[in-house]
Amino acid sequence: MTEITITGLNAITHPYLEVWDWRIVIYLFLGGLSAGMLVMCSIANLRIPKQPVDELAQCVRAPIIAFITLAIGAQFIILDLGKPQSLIWGYLTFQPLSLMSWGTWGVPAVLFANALYILAVIPKDQRYRLKVPFLVNLSEKLSSKMRPIAKLNFALGIFLGIYTGVLLSSFSSIPLWNNATLPILFLVSALSSGAAMIVIIAKKAEIKFLFTKIDIWLIVAELLIIALFFYGLYTSTAPYKKAIEPFFSFTNEQFIFAVALIAIFLLLPLAMRLKLGELKEFKGGFHGEFTKSQIFRMNFAALLVLAGTFILRAAIVYAGQLTKLSPY
Amino acid sequence: MYLTRRDFIKIAAVTGGAVVAGSPVVNSVLALGKKPISLPQYVPTTCEMCFWRCGLIAKVVDGKVVKLNGNPIHPNSRGKLCARGHGGIGLLYDPDRLKNPLINTGARGEANFKKASWDEALGFVAEKMQKIKEKYGAESIALLTHGTISTYFMHLLHAFGSPNFAMPSFALCRGARGVAFEVTFGEDVGNPERLDLQNSKVIVLIGTHLGENAHNSQCQEFAEAVGKGATVIVLDPRFSTAAGKAKYWLPIKPATDLAILLAWINVIINEGLYDKEYVTKYTTGFNEVAQAVKEYTPEWAEKETDIPANLILETARILGKNKPHVLIHPGRHTSWYSDNVQRQRAVAILTAILGAYGRPGGIYLSPKKKFEPVFLSEKDYPDTKPELNKGKYPFAGEEGVTHAIVRATLTDEPYPIKGWFVTGTNILKAMPNQRDTLNAVKKLDLLVAVDMMPYDGVMLADVVLPECTYLERHDDFFTVKERSFGISIRQPVIQPMYDTKPGWWIAKELGKRLGLEEHFPWDTFEEFLKNKAEAWGIDYGELTKKGYIDFPESAKPYFAEGEDYKFKTPSGKIELYSKELKEKGFDPVPKYTKHAQPPEGWFRLIYGRAPVHTFSRTTNNPSLWELMEENVAWINAKEAKRMGLKNGDYIVLVNQDGVRSNKIRAKVTERIRPDCIYLVHGFGSTSKLLRRAYLRGADDQQLITKYDIDPISGTVGMRVNFVKITKEV
Amino acid sequence: MPKYVMVIDVEKCIGCMACVIACKKENNVPDQHYRTRVVEEVRGQFPHLRMELRSELCNHCENAPCIDACPTRASHRAKDGTVQIDRKKCIGCKACILACPYDARYSHPKGFADKCTFCDHRIKEGIKPACVETCLGKSRIFGDLEDPKSEVSELLRKYDASVRLEFAGTRPRVFYIKKKFAGGL
Repeated sequence: MTEITITGLNAITHPYLEVWDWRIVIYLFLGGLSAGMLVMCSIANLRIPKQPVDELAQCVRAPIIAFITLAIGAQFIILDLGKPQSLIWGYLTFQPLSLMSWGTWGVPAVLFANALYILAVIPKDQRYRLKVPFLVNLSEKLSSKMRPIAKLNFALGIFLGIYTGVLLSSFSSIPLWNNATLPILFLVSALSSGAAMIVIIAKKAEIKFLFTKIDIWLIVAELLIIALFFYGLYTSTAPYKKAIEPFFSFTNEQFIFAVALIAIFLLLPLAMRLKLGELKEFKGGFHGEFTKSQIFRMNFAALLVLAGTFILRAAIVYAGQLTKLSPY
Repeated sequence: MYLTRRDFIKIAAVTGGAVVAGSPVVNSVLALGKKPISLPQYVPTTCEMCFWRCGLIAKVVDGKVVKLNGNPIHPNSRGKLCARGHGGIGLLYDPDRLKNPLINTGARGEANFKKASWDEALGFVAEKMQKIKEKYGAESIALLTHGTISTYFMHLLHAFGSPNFAMPSFALCRGARGVAFEVTFGEDVGNPERLDLQNSKVIVLIGTHLGENAHNSQCQEFAEAVGKGATVIVLDPRFSTAAGKAKYWLPIKPATDLAILLAWINVIINEGLYDKEYVTKYTTGFNEVAQAVKEYTPEWAEKETDIPANLILETARILGKNKPHVLIHPGRHTSWYSDNVQRQRAVAILTAILGAYGRPGGIYLSPKKKFEPVFLSEKDYPDTKPELNKGKYPFAGEEGVTHAIVRATLTDEPYPIKGWFVTGTNILKAMPNQRDTLNAVKKLDLLVAVDMMPYDGVMLADVVLPECTYLERHDDFFTVKERSFGISIRQPVIQPMYDTKPGWWIAKELGKRLGLEEHFPWDTFEEFLKNKAEAWGIDYGELTKKGYIDFPESAKPYFAEGEDYKFKTPSGKIELYSKELKEKGFDPVPKYTKHAQPPEGWFRLIYGRAPVHTFSRTTNNPSLWELMEENVAWINAKEAKRMGLKNGDYIVLVNQDGVRSNKIRAKVTERIRPDCIYLVHGFGSTSKLLRRAYLRGADDQQLITKYDIDPISGTVGMRVNFVKITKEV
Repeated sequence: MPKYVMVIDVEKCIGCMACVIACKKENNVPDQHYRTRVVEEVRGQFPHLRMELRSELCNHCENAPCIDACPTRASHRAKDGTVQIDRKKCIGCKACILACPYDARYSHPKGFADKCTFCDHRIKEGIKPACVETCLGKSRIFGDLEDPKSEVSELLRKYDASVRLEFAGTRPRVFYIKKKFAGGL
């Protein structure tokens, strides 16, 4: 038995860290969601190589929603900053080893590219909505560059999706986060949530169906990576092994994490099952319109995916701070 | 090369450091338009966060005390302060401080206070005092006091005509040790104790938990000795911090310490390990002791103490082999059982036969310097009835016996006590049996409290007079008897905050209203101090700048080889066998007394200190409260398991008289014997005005309803209470 | 360039907590926050116990994860080799607090990250850090490792020293020496 008494404890670091909270969870969730949407809508827009430009942009609203999502997400990290008035210092330097620095530069960069994307994909007949003549002109010019801009947004989407995971995995002091699987897991779940979101917002039945299909593969990958994530930590050294304990114990105070893990493993397969059901109905390929109930089921499955992604991020952000590299 | 604080004092002195005035301001050309930067001032004074009275240097910026540092030239602090010393700022700026004189408008103890002016409050007190004097005599006003404020109020009451004062520091603390050492060596071991810890090869701590009692210089020397590889032997039912440094932790059964001491004496004499030359030259009564301890063998002691005989033997031999560089720590709070003096006598005898008194690593000798006393006034005190503050205890010390005052108040014998002054002590937390105290308080016509904080005891008062803190006032010089003799000053670092006043001012102003002006023949206390300094031939200006003046030539810590020395005992020798005790009808050589042990299912309540608190006086201090908000009840892990208690569970302790404690968290630990419960003393305040400390933790004193009295000294035994644990629901 | 280090002689720590509060006062550390702490670790079963007391603080790592994590160079290595925070530049993202394996940092109520500075304001004046100055047990020893005659150099030559979480690879500049086995009965 070891009795440890510590005098001079910082409330936010003992007995476990209470440094990053729901604000970071929302930031990571919305950031991932935005990343996934950018990647997914770029896939949609680049999917058919030769088509007239106006027809080409199949996914028009996704970039706008991705932009709004990321912009809101970024507000949450600013909300978490203790001294946002000093943010200027972040733009007077670039620190390649600091993931926060990558975020400081990266998020505005993504937003910028995303804005270009919005302008590039906006249909001709909708341009008047931009109101400002400069933007209308810009939109016109950019529409011919839609493909390279979509490629750029695809790349930046991947970057953003990975970034949300690397931000956590860069902390050697936090065993649960500090592994290379986490960025991949976050990327995949970001893509999955992006696909789900597009299913919800898409008006075209064809797009809904496409991303329902894509999401199945992403969910499979995500579940597999979650399993590998835990296995990797389980087979690692003591602090790492200890880090996953909250997910596998109902007896301690943190049983909520076990509940979260169970929820993830219920929601995601359930979503997958629903999606598979849709596929089955259209075994021979998809033509025409969906019924209301089909749309409902697809949207419901997508919502389950979004919920699962959110729970995953929240659970990992909070559980990570329960176990530190040091024994207390 | 580091600049020492000493250099800093020099710098501070040059820049006019030791002056309470506006800070000097630097106006930099570049800082035009900016707020000017104030230079810090360094003011030396003497700490009063506990009784150790360390020299400190306060750093003051813009009239605000920002840091307290140890005075490097002061032997009690040596440039360092303990946690409480640093936390003095917390006391100064505690928002719960007493800020105005208060008069209770409700019934006694209701604490229905209204703010009053000093004139009103002092007038009220003076009038009541005069009434008591007329009806019962001046002697019927008693003083319970602790700390530096005692000087003024003892003087005031003596001038008024009462000799009846008592300090908890005697009967409730270190009195028994003082008596035992006076009987044996002719003088007490001093305060701070004259322990040559830094040179000790073996250190025996009997319940003393150095580190947890952060007695500054003593802790410094203890750590140094540990660092040098001294063998530490700790007798303690609890694995204290000191036990953590010990080679031998002997988890002794409480109340049996005397058995092991006698067994050690037995072994050391039997095996010829004592210092024969020393014993022959300096002591008397060795044969009687040798005879008396014959029955106390290690095997016998094992049965009493739960400590294996072989370990008793082994430790005795270690003591013998390392003589005379051994230190049997005489302790401070020695009010444990009914045989306090005899137990401490055994410590003294053991010290003497090992030749450790006046030798390196043992107890060093008092410095050879004395100043003639300078009295607060030359006017004689009036004659009075015989004092009652020493009870019927032949060896009760000059500091008086608190329970004699309580007893007299309750019984009106030998004459009634109708007024109490309570200054600088929390009577509810310091004195055992709160019911007696409260009943006595009910019988009074007047209860005046002078203190800095609204402690539990203060809440009982009719009139509360707010004293300013030690950082805001002058006090009498402190004569420091470390290895060398020295004088330490207390001077205000900042002016008193709120409507608070220094103790001397309160006593003087009250004296004025009692017609005793002549007893306070000075306008300010500084005037008195200057005169005193002049009478003693010391430079007052130097003292205010340095904080401490040392007289290095006064140091004579050890006996020279074969030096003749006359001890201040009747025989002029160390009295191993005490004729004095014999004459008064007590055992001349300690005899073992068996004390009751807790019955099945009960625990003995033991208590002690924490390094960040002093009694109940600091539990509300914001700086210290933060480090320890409440105490916990230490419970042996096996016992806890048996009772289904988990670490951190709230429990309530119930004592043998059915008194229930406040709820307290259990500290389930391997660090304590299964037969006792340990609490840090001073928590569980019942004063609502102490907003941080109010009902935080449990009060050990509340559970000490029963106490033994040592018939020799009148010191009490407070470790005789048994408690049961009930789970808080 | 000096190499300031602190050596903590675990045996001489008596758990008095003077360092904890001296630090708070010296550096005006806000309520409920600390730049240094004292850890008391007791092992064994009654009555066979051993205790270790040690103070902990920012390790001023040579390979400091907090500096890597900082997006604005607010956390930086100062000219004297210590790890410092530029309060003006700190945006309060708390990444450094998460990055520190020693829990040495906290979030100041004013928004910036804060931690032990080795009392650099005192070092500049040529005096020791507040915790060292007041350490009753002289358990904390501070000095320049580049100076072979300094007490810290001598101690680290003489005794086997360890650092906290050596495997974290941070190369701390706070060393712990344990001269002998401290223990009980």
